[in-house]
Amino acid sequence: MNVLECEGLVKAFDDLVAVDDVGFHIAAGETYGLLGPNGAGKTTSISMIAGILESDSGSVTVGGTEITTRTTEGKRQIGYVPQDIAIYPDLSARENLRFFGKLYGIPKARLDERIDEVLAVIGLTDRGDDRTEEYSGGMRRRLNIGIGLLHEPMLLILDEPTVGVDPQSRNSILEGVEELGRTGTAVLYTTHYMEEAERLCDRVAIIDGGKIRAEGTRRELVELVGQLDTINLGVVGSARRLAEALASVTELESVIATEGSVEILVEGASGLLPRVLEIAQQSDVGVSGVEVIEPNLESVFLHLTGKALRD
Amino acid sequence: MKALAITWVNVKRLVRDPSTIFFVFIFPMLLILVLGASFGGGFQPQVAVLDEGGGPFAQELVDEMAGSEDFDTISYDDRGALLEDVERGVANMGVVVPADYDERLQSGAVAQVEFVGRLDQSVVQYRATIEAIVADQSAVFRAARLVEAQGLAGFDDAVASAQLATTSTARTVVVRESTGESVFGEDLGQFDLGAPANLILFVFLTSLAGSAALINTRRLGVSRRMVSTPTSIGQILLGETGGRFSIAMIQGLFIMVGAAVAFQVRWGNLAASSVLLILLALVGAGAGMLMGAIFDNDEQAGSMGVFIGLGLAALGGCMVPLEIFPDTMVKIAHITPHAWALDGFAELIRRGGTIGDILVEIVVLAAFGVALLTLGTWRLRAKLTH
Repeated sequence: MNVLECEGLVKAFDDLVAVDDVGFHIAAGETYGLLGPNGAGKTTSISMIAGILESDSGSVTVGGTEITTRTTEGKRQIGYVPQDIAIYPDLSARENLRFFGKLYGIPKARLDERIDEVLAVIGLTDRGDDRTEEYSGGMRRRLNIGIGLLHEPMLLILDEPTVGVDPQSRNSILEGVEELGRTGTAVLYTTHYMEEAERLCDRVAIIDGGKIRAEGTRRELVELVGQLDTINLGVVGSARRLAEALASVTELESVIATEGSVEILVEGASGLLPRVLEIAQQSDVGVSGVEVIEPNLESVFLHLTGKALRD
Repeated sequence: MKALAITWVNVKRLVRDPSTIFFVFIFPMLLILVLGASFGGGFQPQVAVLDEGGGPFAQELVDEMAGSEDFDTISYDDRGALLEDVERGVANMGVVVPADYDERLQSGAVAQVEFVGRLDQSVVQYRATIEAIVADQSAVFRAARLVEAQGLAGFDDAVASAQLATTSTARTVVVRESTGESVFGEDLGQFDLGAPANLILFVFLTSLAGSAALINTRRLGVSRRMVSTPTSIGQILLGETGGRFSIAMIQGLFIMVGAAVAFQVRWGNLAASSVLLILLALVGAGAGMLMGAIFDNDEQAGSMGVFIGLGLAALGGCMVPLEIFPDTMVKIAHITPHAWALDGFAELIRRGGTIGDILVEIVVLAAFGVALLTLGTWRLRAKLTH
């Protein structure tokens, strides 16, 4: 069953159409990425999905319940982590969590337990009573996420959660998101970092100019644009002989021999690599190195929009 | 209730800010004290007196001054100390009776009494009182000198007779009579005028400057995050309004109770003054919400809040009493809620009024409150979801 279903979302600010007919769905335990550059419409889209921005048209349901700015019931199932660190700097982490816990309607007895659990998950147990203005950027970012997890939502919406975060905290956040997927939480993750989308997301939507340009698994998106994997073999011996031997493999799109190496273009490199190495052995050509280059989402984005992700 | 959680977090944040504590609680009380001490009723000036000779006539003059109801006297032994204290304002003015005062009176020479005062208009009226006391004593000596000149008695006997005559015979006195109603009331306490003006000024000022906290909450993204929780917009607006109202009420109650305890300010009918405070807090909360919704920059709102707050307070009669405004200015002053609140407190404090006597003020303040709250919440609702 889908946790989130949204369709036909449209939002315009005066003459600027920020989101134009955006729709997708996310199943339980699935991590769904909205990948696009700044200004692509990611934040506007998730603001409507989180019920904090009125849409001009379209609908959003979470757990079968309609979400708008005026509804409250369905929002119990949503954990929203904004891109800005939306916490009170003059309150402690514990006080911030207690405040939002009350707004989420968590019963007092359970709230005390959950605050301790969340502080442990985000690694702030020892600093829970310190004012957050004394925290580092990474600690504040972790608390920002912790608030979204407090009420154990069915759907967690993360809006560029690693922007401005040090590498250590970034890795910690990414591991946390991976763990959420394993526990059955549906995650909607926006980012303009291709590596994050590739690492975390089961499915990705490429968004640009307020429109979803393509959607699917990484493999589906790559196939959609017809990009091939590249296998670079470093060889000891005759590269030309190896190239001639590989020419009999019909699945290989092209084989080019150069001095000391062979470059092979193929669809699904990982599946064919054992056979390629076997042929090299049979041809009495030594292999000194193997490099597999798979087309990434960056190249998909470039292909679909004609511009780079960070443009 | 979720609105209460939002209200509580607003109050908690206020209490944690040391600068706010000073401006919300300490500064208003200091101002009431300073203004009351400087300009309030019940002021008794201090006259520093130095008797350099210590003769009987000089002592008599000093005793006469000490007996005056218009001022208190402080005795000095040193001229330098007297001059310094007058200069510093410890004493409002000084009188030096010279060492040869008695001698010159007895010899028939002119005796001079030195008056020391700062260049201050308020000193002039007290100088006249001191001159009158000196003139009274001088009259005795002139009479004695006349008797002595006519050979009717020696100087000392003549002085004794003249002194006796001043106490036993009829004399001309000036009787003071007042007509009409005193502007501020005869029994107005020293701080009774300044306390309500400062209450109104600061409750409104804090509410306007406090709009910065609301903008800060919006800028941090906390307001939108609240909208993402299962909390209705109505509850969020109610909570934020409650926060501003609670802060205004806490400050207002602190000033009222503090002024009553520390400065014996009489706020009049308790129920009526409580209603005025509640309405004042509502108006302040509404104004704070409106500013918090209009401005997008908390620093800009904070400084504009102080500017608007002080401007309205000056226009509304919180800095200079409405009673001494020209008629046109009084009418203009009543475009502000301050003037209506001041009218209400004046009725309660000075004329012992009750709720029935301030119904007009109550209705007008309530209208201000409803209008500002409606505008403020409407603007803020739009800001939160569009």
